[in-house]
Amino acid sequence: MKPIRFTVNGSPREVNCHPSKTLLDVLREDLNLTASKECCGKGECGSCSILVDKEVICSCLVLAGQAEGMDITTCEGVGLTANMDIVQEAFVSEGATQCGYCTPGLIVSSRAFLNSIEHIPSVSEIKTALGGNLCRCTGYAKIIRAVETAAKHQLENKGKLSLR
Amino acid sequence: MKAEAKNEKGNGGNTPFTWVGKRVRRIDGPEKVTGELKYMTDYQYEDMVWGKVLRAKYPHARIKEIHVEKAKSLPGVIAVLTHKDIPGFNGFGIVVPDQPVLCSDVVRCTGDAVALVAAETSEIAEQALGLVDVEYELLEVVSDPEKAMGKTSPQLHPDGNIHSHVKIKNGNVEDAFQEADLIIENTFYSPRQMHAFIETEGGWGKMDEEGFITIKCPGQYAYRDRMQIARALAYNPERIRVISSPIGGAFGGKDEITVQIYLALLAMHTNGRPVKIHYSREESVVAGMKRHPFKVQMKTAVKKDGTLLANRVRAVGDTGAYASLGGAVIALAIEHSCGPYKIPNVDLEGFCVYTNNGIAGAFRGFGVNQVCMAIETHMDMIAEKLGIDPVEIRKKNVYHQGEVSSMGHVVKSSVGTHKTLEVAENCDLWKNREKYKAEASEPWKKRGVSLATSFHGIGMGIGLPDYGAASIELLPEGKFKVAVGCEEIGGGNSTVYAQVAAEMLKCDISNIVVVQGDTSQTLDGGTVTASRSTYTGGRAVATAAPNMVSLLTETAAEMTGVVMEKIEWLPNRIVAAGETISYKRLFDYLYEHRRKTKVEGHFMLPKEKEEIKGSGGAPHHLYGYLTHVVMVEVDTLTGETDVLRVVSIPDAGKVINPQGLEGQTEGGAVMGIGYTLFEDVLIEGGYHKTRNFTDYIIPTIRETPIIETFPVEEAEESGPFGAKGIGEVVMIPIIAAIMSAIYDATGARIKHLPATPERIYNAIKQLKEQEAQPAR
Ligand code: FES
Ligand code: FES
Repeated sequence: MKPIRFTVNGSPREVNCHPSKTLLDVLREDLNLTASKECCGKGECGSCSILVDKEVICSCLVLAGQAEGMDITTCEGVGLTANMDIVQEAFVSEGATQCGYCTPGLIVSSRAFLNSIEHIPSVSEIKTALGGNLCRCTGYAKIIRAVETAAKHQLENKGKLSLR
Repeated sequence: MKAEAKNEKGNGGNTPFTWVGKRVRRIDGPEKVTGELKYMTDYQYEDMVWGKVLRAKYPHARIKEIHVEKAKSLPGVIAVLTHKDIPGFNGFGIVVPDQPVLCSDVVRCTGDAVALVAAETSEIAEQALGLVDVEYELLEVVSDPEKAMGKTSPQLHPDGNIHSHVKIKNGNVEDAFQEADLIIENTFYSPRQMHAFIETEGGWGKMDEEGFITIKCPGQYAYRDRMQIARALAYNPERIRVISSPIGGAFGGKDEITVQIYLALLAMHTNGRPVKIHYSREESVVAGMKRHPFKVQMKTAVKKDGTLLANRVRAVGDTGAYASLGGAVIALAIEHSCGPYKIPNVDLEGFCVYTNNGIAGAFRGFGVNQVCMAIETHMDMIAEKLGIDPVEIRKKNVYHQGEVSSMGHVVKSSVGTHKTLEVAENCDLWKNREKYKAEASEPWKKRGVSLATSFHGIGMGIGLPDYGAASIELLPEGKFKVAVGCEEIGGGNSTVYAQVAAEMLKCDISNIVVVQGDTSQTLDGGTVTASRSTYTGGRAVATAAPNMVSLLTETAAEMTGVVMEKIEWLPNRIVAAGETISYKRLFDYLYEHRRKTKVEGHFMLPKEKEEIKGSGGAPHHLYGYLTHVVMVEVDTLTGETDVLRVVSIPDAGKVINPQGLEGQTEGGAVMGIGYTLFEDVLIEGGYHKTRNFTDYIIPTIRETPIIETFPVEEAEESGPFGAKGIGEVVMIPIIAAIMSAIYDATGARIKHLPATPERIYNAIKQLKEQEAQPAR
């Protein structure tokens, strides 16, 4: 088997696996990055969401062979407990996680959305951005608030940066 | 000791709280939002093997022969097991263990397990399943619960198809129906909802060289899972460790055994290698428990002034192939079938019936959802017919603390219904409903605003043991380890336990470590079900904490020679005659003297003494109450319905964590929207038509309405700091409220859920046709 090479969370990685293994399984089993979860395996739930370049994709639908050369960010790459990203901070402070199984996927989608905007989003923009991520626990209300809060902090931080 | 220690109920006079009642952030938040938390299905082991389950090919068939030789000889296969390989009792089930671990003679649903395989890879395991040859003789499929109850139906179990029958009678309904000014009678149907937890069933099993078995599998009661495993394996339970927390969602769907016994059986045959099973969503849909679909016939009699006179109920629940908690679900449904009202004459009857339609079991609400929609729709219809305000008619009929319920028992615990109704009638949505209704987004869209109220028993009811237990241990670094059996199911009980402990120990919450759901670390404290874990576990922690205070105060006195009275228990430290003693120093001292640093707290839930005859466990001592107000918008051209606003008014006793409470009210409301409007697992002739989230739609973020939560805090004396339970009632009245709001918007009464666009559209069409016909 030819090794498959790609970048994950900023580090170049190389795996030897069957090219038809899903990228989700590669992340979880070969690289021990288990934030991304399998829930439906069909592209319906978003719990396996990762960032490839700027796009959110379902890693359960990508085969390892297709990942060659990709630049991948998983939830772990957005931030860890020692250095949480503002969107992760906001999910904690707003109570936007319960069982937490859907949360990494939502963090990835929310980060991607925040990367794409320079304003405080409307509820309907947030709903469109996160429409592909299922959560059975929270009813999403606090997720909406968390994204608003994170957007606000992001703007504040950017404001500070521009003052320098 | 000078500090005014709070007693175990947490009543510390008027002391303002530091942690209780505050929006404390979830203690497990950071590791959840970063994905660092390892769920059981996230673990990986170098020497692992994969386990898979062979399901029945038919919903009802006799097994003539099972041939496993071919599967066994496939390279890479480690073990193939059938019923013959079960050392102990081949069955499981929380109440009646009527579900075979591996079927031996008959299969009764397509979720039935027939064989287990362990193999080097998941692909080989899958292939091996295909090589197990089972010879079947087909049997007639029982798919209609009403027919199943008849004499001519094939019998699925030795005792027949009626698993349980409950009956409660009070007063004389026939006389009351004679006297009544108005009688309303209807039949309601409710769907087979799927829990749709995001983490499907799965976990790990491993047996070490000494024969000690470890099962890591999300569940809702580690000790009972262990008992059920031990029974099937004929194994000493002390030699089995079950780790059951954290859980990627459960809602009752992981209350029963899921894969624990399979894992244990396979682990006995893999030479010490850890074995993993993790269901695909498709397998979870077929094999997992569902909510019982019900048919509810209800006849309600009332006086002109709105006083409820009588209620007759007949409810039939489809439990599928096995009982699990079906009997208890039906019993709870009947107990709650008259709503939180006082109706003097009742005749209530419920049947739990076996069919070949998958398996039904525990699910948030536990039967109350299905009957609440009936009684609350009736309340709405009665109010309209009599021209009484929907709030007034409810207020008129609710029971208060100390009054007699429809069940005929005096309700001794706190009752918040009346207050929740007062809040409802004063909330913006209700007060200004006419204005909001006039603001529909399109001319063909119609808005409706309605409300409904309900209640839900907390704890197990009569006949089942119900107790809480917790331990608190001082750790070497000076932290307190709070260990509670109740798992972290997502609802945030870990944070509640930490809050209660921090409050009572007067330390920072960061000094509390919470451990849950692990038979080697936590005491047996019952299930995380029945809306009981905040109440029971919280109270157990609150009972253990004073023991820790005594232990450390005595230790400090002994260490320093200062008399007990001069020891001060202050925030984050203990002071003995001016000298500060850290928790760490206390640990060192206890450790050097070879003394225990762990204390326990135990709590028996208060129970009613007398069971209502024939009720199967009613009444409960404690109930939680909730009123929902909702606004919907119905597209009259398509029947599509959006829930735009929800006001949730719970009476959960003292709220320990408002953010956690809102998490429940919001999550429950949205789950209730899914139940009412679109969720249903379709089974035809015993075969699932529903397969995955492609054809089972749960609410997405797009369906999230504006949700407001206004708790009414009726302190419950027996609870920790006055708390009660909340986890289930949050999704119940919203169902009926949406149904009535659809009526308010369109004039069409939906009595068959889910209220799909098609059903609503047809109901509107029918209505128009009726209106077009001249009145006879
Ligand atoms: S697991 Fe990939 S979308 Fe559901
Ligand atoms: S937090 Fe449990 S599924 Fe989202």
